[in-house]
Amino acid sequence: MSFLIDEGKHIQHLLMGNEAIVRGALEAGVNVATGYPGTPSSEVIEAFSKVARERNLYVEWSTNEKVASEVAAAASFAGLRSMCVMKQNGVNVASDFLLHLASSGTRGGMLLVTCDDPGALSSVNEGESRLFARLLEIPLLEPGDFQDAKDIVRWAYDLSEKIGNIVMIRSVTRLSHASGNVRFGPLPDTAARAKFAYHGPLLDPVTGPVISMIPALPAPTHGRQQEKLKLAEEMFETCSFNNYTGPLEPELLIITSSICSLYSREAVDVLGLAQRVGVLKLATTWPLPRKLLKKHLASTKSVLFVEEVAPTLEDHVKVIAAESMSEIGVTTFYGKKSGHLPSVGELNPDLVISALARLCDVPYQSVPPAFARKVQGLADRYAPVRGIMFCPGCPHRASFWSITSALQLDARQGFVCGDIGCYALAAFPAGFSTNKTLHSMGSGSGIASGFGKLRQFGMDQPVVAVCGDSTFFHAAMPALANAIHHRSPFTLVLLDNRGTAMTGFQPHPGSPTDVLGDTAPALDIEKICVSMGAKVEVSDPFDLEKTRRTLNRLLENAEGAKVLILRQACALSPERRAKKKYEIAVDEDRCRGESCGCNRICTRIFGCPGLIWDREKKVSRIDDIICTGCGVCPDICPAGAIIKKEVC
Amino acid sequence: MKHFGASKLVDSVIQAGLCCGCGACINLCPYFQSYRGKTAALFPCSLETGRCFAYCPKVELDPDGLSRFLFNKPYDGSPLGAFRSIHISRAGAKVKKRAFQSGGTVSALIYFALRSKRMRGAVLTGRHGLLPVPSLVTRPADVFLRSLSKYAAAPTLAALNEAIAEGYGDLGVVATPCQAAAVAQMRSNPMNDPSFKDPTALVVGLFCTWALDFRRFEAFLAEKMSLPEIVKIDIPPPPASVLEVYLKEGKREFPLDEIRSFVPEACAYCPDMTAEFADVSVGVLEGRPDMNTLIIRTERGEEIVREARRLGYLELDDLPDENRDHLMGAAANKKKRGIIRCREAGRLNGEEGKACLRLSAETTERILKNGKETSSCHS
Repeated sequence: MSFLIDEGKHIQHLLMGNEAIVRGALEAGVNVATGYPGTPSSEVIEAFSKVARERNLYVEWSTNEKVASEVAAAASFAGLRSMCVMKQNGVNVASDFLLHLASSGTRGGMLLVTCDDPGALSSVNEGESRLFARLLEIPLLEPGDFQDAKDIVRWAYDLSEKIGNIVMIRSVTRLSHASGNVRFGPLPDTAARAKFAYHGPLLDPVTGPVISMIPALPAPTHGRQQEKLKLAEEMFETCSFNNYTGPLEPELLIITSSICSLYSREAVDVLGLAQRVGVLKLATTWPLPRKLLKKHLASTKSVLFVEEVAPTLEDHVKVIAAESMSEIGVTTFYGKKSGHLPSVGELNPDLVISALARLCDVPYQSVPPAFARKVQGLADRYAPVRGIMFCPGCPHRASFWSITSALQLDARQGFVCGDIGCYALAAFPAGFSTNKTLHSMGSGSGIASGFGKLRQFGMDQPVVAVCGDSTFFHAAMPALANAIHHRSPFTLVLLDNRGTAMTGFQPHPGSPTDVLGDTAPALDIEKICVSMGAKVEVSDPFDLEKTRRTLNRLLENAEGAKVLILRQACALSPERRAKKKYEIAVDEDRCRGESCGCNRICTRIFGCPGLIWDREKKVSRIDDIICTGCGVCPDICPAGAIIKKEVC
Repeated sequence: MKHFGASKLVDSVIQAGLCCGCGACINLCPYFQSYRGKTAALFPCSLETGRCFAYCPKVELDPDGLSRFLFNKPYDGSPLGAFRSIHISRAGAKVKKRAFQSGGTVSALIYFALRSKRMRGAVLTGRHGLLPVPSLVTRPADVFLRSLSKYAAAPTLAALNEAIAEGYGDLGVVATPCQAAAVAQMRSNPMNDPSFKDPTALVVGLFCTWALDFRRFEAFLAEKMSLPEIVKIDIPPPPASVLEVYLKEGKREFPLDEIRSFVPEACAYCPDMTAEFADVSVGVLEGRPDMNTLIIRTERGEEIVREARRLGYLELDDLPDENRDHLMGAAANKKKRGIIRCREAGRLNGEEGKACLRLSAETTERILKNGKETSSCHS
């Protein structure tokens, strides 16, 4: 039984932020949880799935974030409590539905949990999801630590039902993925009855149909939505999750939210500023409790904002300050906009301490220069900077080897429009810098569909797009339909590695099992593309020659959309993990090393971590422990020096 | 001469549009490959010097160095290059009558050399459909499967490199002028490899005024006929000025002016019409579509021709003066055109690693003066 559903008196556990969110929802009696994998949010659904049977939950990895929010909304309309979970840019995907949901309102409590990725550690954007609360006109809560994460989520369900609308909970990497002690509360019983009532009057929030707005008549719904927000603001004025520590009239007031509240407290502590600096930690960051803020703004002349990612709290507080200037006087604001904290990249305690030290004129040296030099020396020796790479045995390395080779041989300056997944790395040396565009889910195919139609303007470069199996269902299908219908002659190379790999190998509609591990109908990607009207071929990316040959043939076909499915399971997938197909070894006598005739193409270009360059012997060799035995590298060695032997 | 590597080769030749697709850089390593007549670098090689650059006939070619290496003579810019004698020829009685290009001299010579074990293998050019394909032949009878001219440029030397890597020696090569120049550079061991041994037994050069870009030529023909129906392609000797396509049923003709638009840029920079760096060179004979013109340049070339004739594989006769004059005129004109084009593009002498050709001012002058009166016969 999972510790997440531990019951009894006075229990506490060390929980990851994401797990704390789950415990909070369980204590609130949540019934339905949906999401789409996205770092740093994925553990929420995974944790739910581990307790789904015991707690009578319906848990789903949906096709994309929009569908995830729709499925969760259905549960809410039927009177159940639900949650949908995503990373920051997932909210962009769900936003069209959320815009309308926020207008129609909800019934059973529904939470939108978003986990942002400051510094884009696992993203290709530094998006800020909090602004959606303002855009969608819904309340926003930001837990400040791990206990908060549980308690606020628990409370948020009551808030959601009180106002009859969705509530947004926002976390960041260092809250979602770090851990802290969490005291547990009781778990309710799990009986729940779903029924969708729709027979009442049109705009009745409990018994009527659920429509977002009557066209040309915004007041009943939009007006109602704004009233809900006012009600939330009133509740926020006395919400115990907002708290202040520090002197009555601080020299400097720190206004902070999320995990930055811990950085702020640490900074005050390290610098010994408890008598001079106050920390106002806000959990209710939209709508801002105006009275509370005016009270604290009036107590000081200087404010430092400490927040991730964008200066949204800063901007919103400044509006309140401007509105109440005649009462509170003039304030000087510091934060990202003043340059005291960086506008790009993730915050850390050191950056906050440095900013505070500067503002309070306290000497502080984050790292003594001698120590920094020592660390650098050790790092250079034991942990050299490496480029981000595909795993040993990754089918994408083989796929992009063939794709780049085919495009070079085609010799018409063809290019690949990249997409989101592990294969996004093919914009970099990991994938031989093959991808020449990189944006969002499915956008490679959309952009390629566009490039393919520029022939009338003289464009003669062959166009290729890549997408993964999960991305195909998430977003690429509409782009492919567009290309087929508009006769855009691009080639979609669909990298089917049998799962949503980048985020931890979750299932998707093409998988034969669901999030609980039960069998599920697996949609057949090949059949879908054929029935859409594309010319479809299939190849094993580990067969380099066949893949390259097939792609060259498709590139020469100037008409219509083509799909080449490269099917080979991810090296970390359950079916391949810990199973070597081949034992690989290098014949050092045959190895040409750095000389003309090879120039160590295996370690210099192919770059599988299982291949090592021996600087003394000047030959390549295989790292037995890292090598997964996929058998591809023998085919790239010009000397036939890499030998493979099938493992029985 | 300063040596360079793959990245310079890509820059100065491939990206500059000067690659003639000879195949000299292919099968030395995994980086250069040919596909449907085009040579490309698949991935970047970072070595500062390499065989690819040294062998390439379109960059840093030193005709004087090669002439001294092969013939013990300086390069004087004479129209036909160094030679010992010049004849007309055709396949002899020992070679069964079959579909030849002109007199069948090349096929006959290679057939004889293989049969008499003067060669262990011959690097020839076959075809898949219309696409010329490099081919190593070891059985004498297989030579005739590779007969007939392929007017599209072919990466034939890729098969030579492959054969050498597999340990073959005593190889014959049938080479266009650019390919013959590349082979000459290979034979001179430019990278000073201590274990180097000359793998060639005979280099048979082909006369060439220009070749055709395979992809554009194929597209042109594909519009006008069904490609699998093509049996043979011929450009008959002057005074004709057409390209003939023989189909399974019937024949089509296209004016050479139209065909010339498919000539790769690289050919305009070439000063060599008669494959001056081969052992023997073979081409058409004006006015006699069943004969060849045969130029003998080296001792080993002379030996094989003499024996082939003696044993009935080849028939030889004297080249009439008129034909010789026309040949020298045509060769001198191509040489002059090539030099002028190089100079205009800043690729005659000039920047290291970028020049197509290096020639002395004297030799350049002589060529520009259309020096067909200079005699280069040294026998």
